[in-house]
Amino acid sequence: MKLKMKLNSPKRILYLILFTVLPMLSFGSQQSAALYTAANSYYAKGQFQHALDNYKKVLAGGTTSAALYYNLGNASYKTGDLASALLYYEKARKLAPNDDDIYANIRLANSKTSDKVDEAPELFLTSWWKAVYLSASADTFAILSIVLVLAGSALLVTYFFAHAVMLKKAAFYSAVVLLCSGLAVIFIAGRQVSYFEHNRQGIVFNSPVAVKSAPSDDARNLFIIHSGTKVSIIDIKKDWIRITLNNGNEGWMKVEDLKEI
Amino acid sequence: MLIMVLLLCSGALSAQRVQFNASVSGNDVATGEPFRVTFAINGNGSRFTPPDFTGFQILSGPNVSSSITSINGNTTVSNSYSYDLVAVKEGILTIGSAFIMVDERRLNTNPIRIRVSKGQPMQQNSQQQQQRQEEMIQDNAEDLSKALLLRAEVNKTNVYQGEQILLSYKLYTRAGIVDSRVDKLPDLNGFWTEDVKNQPQQVQWRTETYKGLKYNVADVKQMILFAEHSGDIKINPFEMTFIVRVAAPARDIMEQFFGSYKDVKYAVKSIPVVVHVKPLPEAGKPAGFSGAVGKFSIQARLDKKELKANETLNYSVKLTGSGNIKLINALNVNLPADFEKYDPKVTDTIKEEANGVRGNRTYSYLLIPRRQGNYTIDPLEFSYFDTSTKKYVTIATKAFAVKVNKGLVENNVTAFSDADQKDIKKLDKDIRSIKTGNAGLNKIGERFYGSQGYWLLLLSGPVLCALAFGFRNRNRKINSDVVRVKNRRAGKVAARHLANAQKQLAAKNTAAFYEAIFKGLYGYLSDKLNLAVADLNKESIVDGLKDREIGDQLITKLLETLDLCEMARYAPVTQLSELEVLEKAKGIINEIEDEIK
Repeated sequence: MKLKMKLNSPKRILYLILFTVLPMLSFGSQQSAALYTAANSYYAKGQFQHALDNYKKVLAGGTTSAALYYNLGNASYKTGDLASALLYYEKARKLAPNDDDIYANIRLANSKTSDKVDEAPELFLTSWWKAVYLSASADTFAILSIVLVLAGSALLVTYFFAHAVMLKKAAFYSAVVLLCSGLAVIFIAGRQVSYFEHNRQGIVFNSPVAVKSAPSDDARNLFIIHSGTKVSIIDIKKDWIRITLNNGNEGWMKVEDLKEI
Repeated sequence: MLIMVLLLCSGALSAQRVQFNASVSGNDVATGEPFRVTFAINGNGSRFTPPDFTGFQILSGPNVSSSITSINGNTTVSNSYSYDLVAVKEGILTIGSAFIMVDERRLNTNPIRIRVSKGQPMQQNSQQQQQRQEEMIQDNAEDLSKALLLRAEVNKTNVYQGEQILLSYKLYTRAGIVDSRVDKLPDLNGFWTEDVKNQPQQVQWRTETYKGLKYNVADVKQMILFAEHSGDIKINPFEMTFIVRVAAPARDIMEQFFGSYKDVKYAVKSIPVVVHVKPLPEAGKPAGFSGAVGKFSIQARLDKKELKANETLNYSVKLTGSGNIKLINALNVNLPADFEKYDPKVTDTIKEEANGVRGNRTYSYLLIPRRQGNYTIDPLEFSYFDTSTKKYVTIATKAFAVKVNKGLVENNVTAFSDADQKDIKKLDKDIRSIKTGNAGLNKIGERFYGSQGYWLLLLSGPVLCALAFGFRNRNRKINSDVVRVKNRRAGKVAARHLANAQKQLAAKNTAAFYEAIFKGLYGYLSDKLNLAVADLNKESIVDGLKDREIGDQLITKLLETLDLCEMARYAPVTQLSELEVLEKAKGIINEIEDEIK
């Protein structure tokens, strides 16, 4: 009896934490939700400009989500702003890297931009590993890791107090498996976060943009890119950004011609 | 043969200096007197550029001649370009330099000065006749420009892009024309042109007054133009050369009676005309507008209303009107996707007349419906710009309903074949639609992963484990302490009971003696096995001792002793003396102490 009481008190703390932390994570204001619904109905009616304005208001309210960015991208695409559409889609992808719809629309929108950039092929191991850590959003991985660690801990506790040998064994091994996979999931989530932090990318928002050999107006023009092209940011120096294209070409362009994802 | 080749080679090798000279047949010429200028080169040249013969009229030329001479093995190639010229005015005139390229070098001739005097008298003509002839030639030069005119006329100078314009080249003449030759047709850049074709074979002359003079007028050429772009487009001159018969002074009576004449060559040019082309207005331009300008009507026809699948269907669209009908591309017909469509056959019945290009164009489409069903051929919309109302007009054909029945399945096709199956046609591409469920809005930049709450929750598991581990260990420690104390005490308690038993033995108190031994053994077992005295019975003792790996022999011995003690409390024991029992109990305790774990 005394033992049961002891077990209960950490659980109570856990519930307390769950109930205080989770609400902070998931609830936007009522107003934003209403604006979002209104925007969706404008979109359904084909009034894309109105929909776009409303989505932007939701964003201005300080809340966001993958779905919001995705819908913003769709509304921009329908109003003919390809560069903005791609920017929003890429932002949505960062929040939900496993969403098939986002990838499909990025592909379609990319096919309409004026620059065709062939991606340099990746090593198959790299692409597999990438597929693993981009298979869910970082937050999904976070929740999964918590579930795994808590379940593993619970089993470990069972192991401590069980008398029957079989139960003890089963509890111990499954606890080890669960805790190890919990750690793996935490690592994967961390990889995803650092991938998006280290791979800074941007969308070109001007046409045509001359990419120069050095951060100066007098430098030679290396190549010309157009609105909607995705570039990777290597370095930022005051007014100039050093960029690289997916096909490996490098150069400098002005900060104002690029919007970072 | 060999010698000849060698000779040729040596000739080629001894390439002497190439000379390029100009010469004239006479430096003193009279107006109207033909003379020849020759540019000669003793070698092969390319890209000959003649000088500008200003002040002269070219009668013929360039006449190119070349000759190869071989003298004593020395081969000379010479080329010459000659022109027959006539000086138009008197004075000192210069024939400029001609150029030619020889072996990447550019050679030029020296300019030649020519003194042109007034028409030289013919030797047999009298002074008076000379005088009159001079007047006549003078008249020619001045009067022919009034006697013969070429004019380019357009019916409109202010048009829309794509609107048709009639361009007529008219010849105005007051002189008799013996022969005519077209020197240069204007390149009508910026226009799509159509020649007017129904012109009579015989030139029709009519009289017109132009600048106060009466002329015989004929249309030399008529064209219909469609401006291709907006802006001011210039129509370049049309150039012709005529041989005109003019009256010449009579030289004898016969000539005086019948009149004398001579033929004069005269070149004329039309004056350039500028057409102002306006772009088509942007306001109200229909979506499907493809550049048709004029006035049109459209009609569609379908040969069947009902047919079987895989049979052919003819859909023809007839476009009638006037305007740039020849420039209209294929129509954007809306046909059901299940219809196989072939490129249309285009039949034109178009006439190019002075009042415009008009006629009709028929597009016939061959369609094959591939699947049964009820289909509709949507109305075909056609937009054009009406030049008379200056507005865009959209006209449409009617819609047609077609019923397609099940087609005949060929006999040789097996029943299970998928021959009737077709790939699904992809008609269009579009982005996927928006997400309408719960938005799941979060604060910008806020993420659960890496947040304080996340780490707290994550740590709670291990913390819980650590707490549980500590708690268990403490419990175990407390428990194990009690056991150990009892265990340690067990021997002493047993010793005390056995000492008591010895005392009872000395006092000859048999029952108390056995009870003391019994209690001693029970108490000892109770402490050793960590069991309450109340829970002790034979089974629990056996189980407890077996758990602690005590040998079966010892257990049996213990049980015998316990039985003996219990029995001895109620009935006298004969087989063993009290002392032996005491020793046995002591021995058992000692053995258990030794073996117990």
